[in-house]
Amino acid sequence: MTATEPREGRVRDPIDLDAAEEARLRTAAGMIPAPIASPGGEYFGFDTVSIPDRPPQTERERELYTLGEGEMLVNMGPQHPSTHGVMRLVLKVRSEVVTDLDVVLGYLHRGIEKLSENATYTTVLTYVDPMDYMSAMHNEHAPALAFEKLYGIEAPPRAQYIRALVVELNRVFSHGLMMGFLALDIGALTPILYGFINRDEVVEMLAAISGQRMLFNFFRVGGVNWDVNDEFLSRLGAWHAKELRNVKDNEALLTGNEIFRARTRKMGVISRQQAINLGVTGPNLRASGVPFDVRSAHPYPPYHELEFTPIVQEHGDVYDRYLQRIAEIKQSMHLIEQIMDKMPHGPVQAQVPGIIRPKPGRAYAAIESPRGLYSVYAISDGGPTPYRFRMRDPSFVSLQVMPVLMPGHLIADTMAIMASLDPIMGGVDK
Amino acid sequence: MDVELLLGIGRFVLATTLILLLTVPTAFIVIQLELKVIAGMNLRIGPNRVGPSGMFQSTIHGFKVLAKEDQIPDKADRATFTIAPWMVFMAAAMSMLVIPFAPGAIAADFNIGIVYFFAIIGLSVVGLLVAGWASYNKYSLLGGLRSAAQMVSYEIPLTLSVVGAVVLAGTLNFTELIHWQRDHGWLFIWQFVGWGIFYIASLAEINRTPFDMVEADSEIVAGPFTEYSGMRFGFFFFAEYVSLFIMSAIMTSLFFGGWLAPWPFPAELSGFLGTLYGIFWFFLKTYLFVFAAIWMRATLPRVRVDQLMGMAWKVLLPLALVNLFVTAIAVVWLNL
Repeated sequence: MTATEPREGRVRDPIDLDAAEEARLRTAAGMIPAPIASPGGEYFGFDTVSIPDRPPQTERERELYTLGEGEMLVNMGPQHPSTHGVMRLVLKVRSEVVTDLDVVLGYLHRGIEKLSENATYTTVLTYVDPMDYMSAMHNEHAPALAFEKLYGIEAPPRAQYIRALVVELNRVFSHGLMMGFLALDIGALTPILYGFINRDEVVEMLAAISGQRMLFNFFRVGGVNWDVNDEFLSRLGAWHAKELRNVKDNEALLTGNEIFRARTRKMGVISRQQAINLGVTGPNLRASGVPFDVRSAHPYPPYHELEFTPIVQEHGDVYDRYLQRIAEIKQSMHLIEQIMDKMPHGPVQAQVPGIIRPKPGRAYAAIESPRGLYSVYAISDGGPTPYRFRMRDPSFVSLQVMPVLMPGHLIADTMAIMASLDPIMGGVDK
Repeated sequence: MDVELLLGIGRFVLATTLILLLTVPTAFIVIQLELKVIAGMNLRIGPNRVGPSGMFQSTIHGFKVLAKEDQIPDKADRATFTIAPWMVFMAAAMSMLVIPFAPGAIAADFNIGIVYFFAIIGLSVVGLLVAGWASYNKYSLLGGLRSAAQMVSYEIPLTLSVVGAVVLAGTLNFTELIHWQRDHGWLFIWQFVGWGIFYIASLAEINRTPFDMVEADSEIVAGPFTEYSGMRFGFFFFAEYVSLFIMSAIMTSLFFGGWLAPWPFPAELSGFLGTLYGIFWFFLKTYLFVFAAIWMRATLPRVRVDQLMGMAWKVLLPLALVNLFVTAIAVVWLNL
């Protein structure tokens, strides 16, 4: 195959194709044989087929953009107050009831995986920070583990404990913010600010250990950058003493609130089987009653030395996903106590050369991020950079629940359900 | 023309001008309160740069919207788009005419003041609906339809909840209603259920949290106001906060004795001093309710459209009817 020929499954520019050739190529690409004329139609004077400005290309597109009686399309995002960054939803609504929905992604795509293939193993860890920007520590954790497997070393025990410590701290503020975003999307103003106050305390603490407030760049292949220091420990002590009270404050605003319960219970129910089939992981899966947590199912050090059982909820609705986050904050606090008790002495960095050249091979490492199973698959060809580098982002997978869950809910619930899935667009679009 | 009519017209023009002028500082004060109170409840500092401890922040906001560019979308219906903010603002401003601030300090002391008030405040829904339709925006349209559904539904329990009080006091005039309360005790004691219904329905009527469906920012951006900018948006914004003040003021007058102090009015205070004394108590009580509404905004999430409508028709309306029925029977049998 020469460079100018299209690869199989791709459609060339249809302008200079005859009809039969075009139909053949389109079918091969999974599209409908011929473009369909726009259905047209007016609804309250609005041009309802303004999105998109081309005829539908697939059966699914035709289904979505063909309007029934009394239906209209509402384009939500990427500029919208509550689309968590730059997600775009195309809602098909009948009055305010959502009958169909499409999630349009890619507005925050930065090509991080491809960039990583041109970076040395050490610098890859700086590229992955801004992917899921709410849990930068987890982003670094997975590739660090994968590269260590690839290179055949292991981080010293103290480094593993420090990793677990910062990762659990990151989980606490990430879950705290999720509660705030959920509340904000339901219309409560205050919890998000409590979440940010809490986050600020934690990121100051992590800045004391790593030097950065958001994109920490703390993990290294074979260890971590710094040992814990006095400022970190004093901040940790002060924060740990009052964190549970902060959670209680937030809970007082939401958990027992009648309006909040009416808005979230029996909303967006993901059944146990549905969650497994759709590949949902993390708190969203556990809220549906499946006790799967990478930390206990496939423990990576030091979790096999810690006392840990996954928490589950029963119903799998928005309220349960919220309760799951609260329970996991408390669980993380408990894990932090255990880590501080058991932390061994020793070095925090294994002996690793400046530029790592692993032997050709493949490695896969998975961790439990606040949004679920976060994993890295890396292939080495013996050079200083990864030959291939792929990340599985859990919020990307969570989002595919949306079109399944949403039909039948109101526009207002769309936001609540989306916030309860806790997608971070930086991770979804990579 | 006789002199009396001319005097009447002159008095009306003067009163209307004063009321229109009063809306501006009222809106500024309520907005400033909201900025500062919510900041405190969020554990923030809030505005603290403009003037001593940020006192003039809302004034600066006002000048800001004045200075901003006024944009009209290409496909908008220009005539209705232009007139909508005016309708909403005038509905709020005109309803201020009948608010009894103090003995003698009432712009227009009608004998049907209560009917006038509910008629005028209901007009703002027309403005919101027009704004939603004229903007040529789907979010605006949804917001406009929501406002129509919500305000029309809540107007019924809102009005019915007051009828109990009216039946009890036997008057539709605000001044006489307050005099009745001076003699018999404040109406919220007599009409506790009525007051509860009025409170909930009034929050829905002026689109305050937890019933701020019309401009639910996380769902429909800003509802009917999405396409508005500059002073046209400013008018909506003003109207919203003036309405909050007005609803609190009306609740004070209807159920909490208006300008009356919690103890008997001192006899030696008459004339100007008495008016000042009345104004003090009136504003104290009114701003307590304004504070409560702001407090709720910092605390409560927003209810959903169907829950909101369900509450109006399934809970508040039957309750208001029962309340009216019981009150009427009591008035007839007990000769109250």
